[in-house]
Amino acid sequence: MTATDIPRATSPHESPRAGLPVRLRLEAVSKRFALPDGKETIALADFSLDIRQGEFLVIVGPSGCGKTTVLNLLAGLQMPSSGGVTLDDRAIEGPGPERGVVFQDYALFPWHTVWGNVEFGLRHGPAGRGLDATGRKERVRQAIDLVGLAGSDMKFPHQLSGGMRQRVALARLMANEPAVLLMDEPLAALDAQTRIILQDELLRIWGQDRPAAQRRTVVFITHAIDEAVFLADRIAVMTTHPGRLKAVIDVPLPRPRGDATRAHPQFQALSQHIWSLIRDEAYRATVT
Amino acid sequence: MTATMPIATRHRLLLGALLPIAAIVVWQAWGMAQSNQRVPLPTRVVANAIAMIASGDLPDALLQSLGRVFGGFAIAALLAIPLGLAMGRSRAIERNLDPLVESFRPIAAIAILPLAILWLGTGTPAALMIVAYAAFFPIVVNTIAGAKRVNPTLLAAASTMGLSPWATLRTVVIPSALPSIFVGLRIGLGVAWTAIVAAELAVGAKAGGGGSGGIGQMMFVFYAYSIELNRIVVCMIAVGLVALVLDRLLRAMLVLLLPWSKAT
Repeated sequence: MTATDIPRATSPHESPRAGLPVRLRLEAVSKRFALPDGKETIALADFSLDIRQGEFLVIVGPSGCGKTTVLNLLAGLQMPSSGGVTLDDRAIEGPGPERGVVFQDYALFPWHTVWGNVEFGLRHGPAGRGLDATGRKERVRQAIDLVGLAGSDMKFPHQLSGGMRQRVALARLMANEPAVLLMDEPLAALDAQTRIILQDELLRIWGQDRPAAQRRTVVFITHAIDEAVFLADRIAVMTTHPGRLKAVIDVPLPRPRGDATRAHPQFQALSQHIWSLIRDEAYRATVT
Repeated sequence: MTATMPIATRHRLLLGALLPIAAIVVWQAWGMAQSNQRVPLPTRVVANAIAMIASGDLPDALLQSLGRVFGGFAIAALLAIPLGLAMGRSRAIERNLDPLVESFRPIAAIAILPLAILWLGTGTPAALMIVAYAAFFPIVVNTIAGAKRVNPTLLAAASTMGLSPWATLRTVVIPSALPSIFVGLRIGLGVAWTAIVAAELAVGAKAGGGGSGGIGQMMFVFYAYSIELNRIVVCMIAVGLVALVLDRLLRAMLVLLLPWSKAT
């Protein structure tokens, strides 16, 4: 493949990781909301996508394309109006600790320290079952060290910068050891430099140098195209009114990825291609 | 201490003290010009205060009133906090109970005194009932507000970590509502203190000065029997000081218990 080659969109049910089992499946899913005036709005229409074990799937699209709805359906925080959402072939009927979520505004508990936040799911949820106090302590220590926050254990969230808060949210997620990581624009509130650093960190924490069978499955939402290309194995591009899947694009950039990836000609080509898919709509969103 | 104080601060303090000092001086001068020996005077108030503290009468009366306040306040908190949490988190419960709470709320605590005396006599149980009634409303209203204000993303985070509803209530809803509950407790304690003095004054009349004690009744005796205006002023000042101390204590507790609440 040469640098100018632009990968074609693949069909939703094909994946280059065909050897690995499908973890998450969205099948002909739609989601309608009742409006206060009695009318209905369609947030998501006929959405089908398979996400395989160890895959880093990124959903991009303009505001209002329903990407957060997709994540909430996978998290079990919302139920589909029609269609099926499954994890390992079992219908998702509600939230569960095997699907960890990182929220855009971090969702840290302001009354807990960094340590208390990371420990939260282990202490109060099923993720800590079978762990004694020592085991829990070890797990929290590892998670905090993993995100590079050793030394800030006893700080409260309001004493931390945005980047540090997002690190705490990541540590809390990893401490619970979920099989699936669902991330809703986790880096959107950060400045450009912090963002780049946390993109690198995220891939490291995810374990990009391990084989796919040992990686966690990730669904990551963003509106930043360069972020999508840098992180993803595959990118699902969505459009608005109603929210639909427009294309699924493979990102064959080699792993581990880093600064060299951002300078890769294919990185630019892919970014351009995705931009061309959503440009018209993004433009319309700024004038209407 | 004053040596390190900046000059501007010292000036402000002096200015702030000027008016009260002037008022006391005028009061003293005016009183000394009267022939009536019962006129309360700053010097007489101070002398009486010292005598009442030395004899133990004033501390005893305050302690008796405070005991009733804390008892009634505790009853109010035990009822109002669970009820407020339930009303704040469940729309069905709120719809059913809100009219009841809101229709009793404007009825002043002192207005239930006749019922309290008829049912419970003129002793401590009636006082507890009035105090609990008075403190109940600010606590319940603020607890409802706090329970409603829980950040929905925190609830979503707890549910994605698999927490049970009970664990979520304990670890997310209650901590989120605590700053607001504390506001309710502070207002409730202030109201309870006001109510006990009023109740004891009124019970004092009913009981004919006999004795269920407390600072209010002490004032009633000075008013209706021995007619000692200086001592009534001492009691008023004591009531005000106790209220101030209670409020400051609760504030200090708030800072100690909820170190994050400055940020929220």
